[in-house]
Amino acid sequence: MEDKIVEVNFGPQHPSTHGVLRIKVKLDGEIIVDAQPVIGYLHRNAEKLSEMGGYPKGMIYMDRLDYVAALNMELGYVMSVEQLMDVQVPERALWIRMMMVELNRIASHLIWLGTHGLDMGMLTPFFYCFSEREKILRIFDEITGSRLLYNYFAVGGVYSDITPKSVEMIKEWYGNFYKRLEEIQSIFAKSYIYVQRTKNVGKLSAEDVLSYGITGPMQRASGMKRDVRKDNPYLFYDKINFDVPTRGEGDVYARFLVRIEEMRQSASIVNQVVGKIPQGDFYNKKYSKPMLVRLKATGESYVPTESPKGEFGVHLIGDGSSIPYRVRIRSPSFANLSSIPTMLKGYKIADLTASVSSIDPVFGEVDR
Amino acid sequence: MNLFFFLMSILYGILKFLHINFIPYSYNGIPVGLWIAYLIVAAVEVVLVFAIAMVAVIIIVYVFRKYMADVQNRIGPNRIGPWGSLQLIADVFKLLQKQDLMPTSADRLAFKVAPYIIFTPVILGFVVIPFGNVSILNLMVVNFNYTILFLIAFMTVAPVGEIIGGLASHNKFSLYGAMRSAAQDMGFEVPMLISLISVIILAGSYSANDIVIAQRVIPFIIPEILGFIVFFLAMIARQSIPPFDLPESGSELVSGFSTEYSGMRYGILYMGNFGFMALASFVVAVIYLGGWEGPIFPGTVWLVIKGAVFIIIFLLTWVSLGRVRIDQLLNIGWKYLLPLSIINLLISAGIALYFGGVF
Repeated sequence: MEDKIVEVNFGPQHPSTHGVLRIKVKLDGEIIVDAQPVIGYLHRNAEKLSEMGGYPKGMIYMDRLDYVAALNMELGYVMSVEQLMDVQVPERALWIRMMMVELNRIASHLIWLGTHGLDMGMLTPFFYCFSEREKILRIFDEITGSRLLYNYFAVGGVYSDITPKSVEMIKEWYGNFYKRLEEIQSIFAKSYIYVQRTKNVGKLSAEDVLSYGITGPMQRASGMKRDVRKDNPYLFYDKINFDVPTRGEGDVYARFLVRIEEMRQSASIVNQVVGKIPQGDFYNKKYSKPMLVRLKATGESYVPTESPKGEFGVHLIGDGSSIPYRVRIRSPSFANLSSIPTMLKGYKIADLTASVSSIDPVFGEVDR
Repeated sequence: MNLFFFLMSILYGILKFLHINFIPYSYNGIPVGLWIAYLIVAAVEVVLVFAIAMVAVIIIVYVFRKYMADVQNRIGPNRIGPWGSLQLIADVFKLLQKQDLMPTSADRLAFKVAPYIIFTPVILGFVVIPFGNVSILNLMVVNFNYTILFLIAFMTVAPVGEIIGGLASHNKFSLYGAMRSAAQDMGFEVPMLISLISVIILAGSYSANDIVIAQRVIPFIIPEILGFIVFFLAMIARQSIPPFDLPESGSELVSGFSTEYSGMRYGILYMGNFGFMALASFVVAVIYLGGWEGPIFPGTVWLVIKGAVFIIIFLLTWVSLGRVRIDQLLNIGWKYLLPLSIINLLISAGIALYFGGVF
C-alpha cells in the first residue's frame, strides 16, 4: 500500500496556485490522500517595515498586501490609526471611502471569477471579467491617479476629491454592470460541466469554518450569516440598504454564488452612496500633509473591516513616539488557507484547483 | 482514374512533348524511364499530401486564433503579414531557433521519438481521404478496399506517442498526463469503433469512396444520429480539446505529457494536434455528411465546406466549455457512449436487414 502513494509538489511555480502557494500532495492514483499547504514564498516583511516609518508611511505597505483590493487594505489601516489618535474625519471623506472600497471589492471578485474560470479550464470568462474590471480601474485612475496601488486614504480623509467626471463614469458603469454580470454568471452557471465540477467539492461544514477561523465569502457559503459590515458597522454601512448573501452547502459552487451575489450588493451600495455624498471637506484640515509625519500616539487599537477575502484588521500599539511599536495584521487569506487539508482530503486532483481557487488567496496578504 | 496515374500520365506527356527519351534501358523488363517517372510522381504526391496537411494546419491555427480573440473581445494576431496571417510561420521560425532542451533524467530516445509518433500518423491519414468526386478524378493518393480501417488505425496510433512522451519525460505531472491519456483513449476508442462498424454495415464496404457513394440519397447522419454523436465526442476526446483536455489540462497538470517539451519538439506536437483537427473534421464529413457529394460545386469544395463546419464546432467547444473531471470522463465513455454505440449498431443492423444493405 505504501509504495502506491506518490508525493507531488503543486507549486510554488504552478499555474493554478494564484501566486506562490506550494501544496505538498500525497496521491493514490488520482485521489488525494493528504495535502499540506506551504507558505512563505512571498514574505516581504510588511509588518516589520511598517514599524520602521511613521504612522502615515505604513499605508504603502498596506497597499501591497492584497494588491487586487488595495483600498480595502488601506481602509483597515487608516481606520485603526484614526481610532488610535481620535482623528475626526469629515463625512464626505467617509462616504467617498465607502464608495471606493465597494468598487474595489467588485474588482477583486471579478479577478477571482476570471482566474477561477481558468482553473476550471474555461478560457473565455477571464477576458470578460478583466474587461469589466478595467472599467472600474479607469474610475480609480480618474479619482486617485493610480490603477493598482493607490495610496489614496490618508489619516483624516482622502488625498483627492472625486470629480464630476468620475461620478459620471460610475453612473455609466453602474448602468451596464448588472447586465454584464448576468452574462458572465450565465457562462458558468448554465454550463452543466462547471456545475458538475463544483457541486459537492471542497465542502466545509459550519464547525470547520469556526475551528479554522475562516471569514468572508467562504464562511457565508457554509451557512453562517456573518459580515462585519452588518454585525459591527463602520463607516456608514448602517445607513445603507444591502443584504448579506448566504448559502448552506459550503461547497465551491456555493462560494461562487455568494461572491456573484456580493458583487450585486456592492454595486447597489455604490449606487446608493453616489447619491448620498454630502458637500464639504474631503480631509481634516488639522491633518494637512506636513503635519502627518509628526503624528504621535499611545495605546492600542484594532478596527475589524470586511475585505473581499474576509475580516481584515490592523492591531496597532503606540508607545508615544512617532513610529508605531507594533503593527499586527490580521489577514483573512491566511486563516482561510489553513482549511486546505480538510477541503482536499479524499477528492481528486482536478478538485484541488477548484477548491484552492475558491479560497481566493492572495499571497501578498498571506505572507505579509 | 487514380490521382497517381493522372499525375504520371501528365509527366509522361510532358516528357514525350520535350522529346526526352530515356526509355531504351530496361530493368527486369520494366523500362527505367518509367521507373524514374514512377518515383518522381510518388515524390510529388508525398509533397502534395504534406502540403495539404500543412496548409490545413496554417489555416486552422489562424482561424482559431482570430475566432478565439473575437469571442474574447480581443484583436488577435495583427502584426505579421496581412491581418496577422503569417503569425504561425513566424512562430515556427521562433521555435526552430530555440535551444533543444531535454531533462537530464529523461529517456533520450523515447523522448525524441514521441513527437514524431504523434505527428506522422496525422500526415499519413490524409493519404486516404477522398478529396474529390471519384467518377471524375479520384483525388485519393492511395485507394484500396480497406481505407477506413487504415484511417482508424492511424488515428489511434497517436495516444501511444502521448504515453511514450509522458513516461520518457521523467516528470510526475507528465506521468499523470500519460496515464490520463491512456484512460481517456481506452474509454472513447471502443465506442468510436463500434459506431464506425455500424457505418460499415450500412455502406456494405470498408472503402471510404464506397461509404461516400452510399450516402448519395441520405447522409448517414440521419439514420445514425446516435453513432454520429458518439463518434464526434470521441474525436473531441482524441484531440484533447476542452471539455476533454485531461491529458493536457493546463491548470492542474501543467500541460500534462507535454510539460517538458519545448522548442521545435513542442512545435511538432502543436502542429500534430491541429493537423489532427483537420483530419478528424474531414473524416467525420466523409463518414456522416457524404464527403464530396453535393450539387453544383465540385466535390473538393463540398468536402472542404463540410469539414469547415466541424472545425468551427470544435473551436466553439474549445472556447466556451470547461474541463470535466477524470471520473466524469470515464463515466461518459463507459456508461453513456458505449451503450449508445451498441444501440446504434443494433439500429443500423436492423436497417441493413430491412432495406438490404445500401440505401
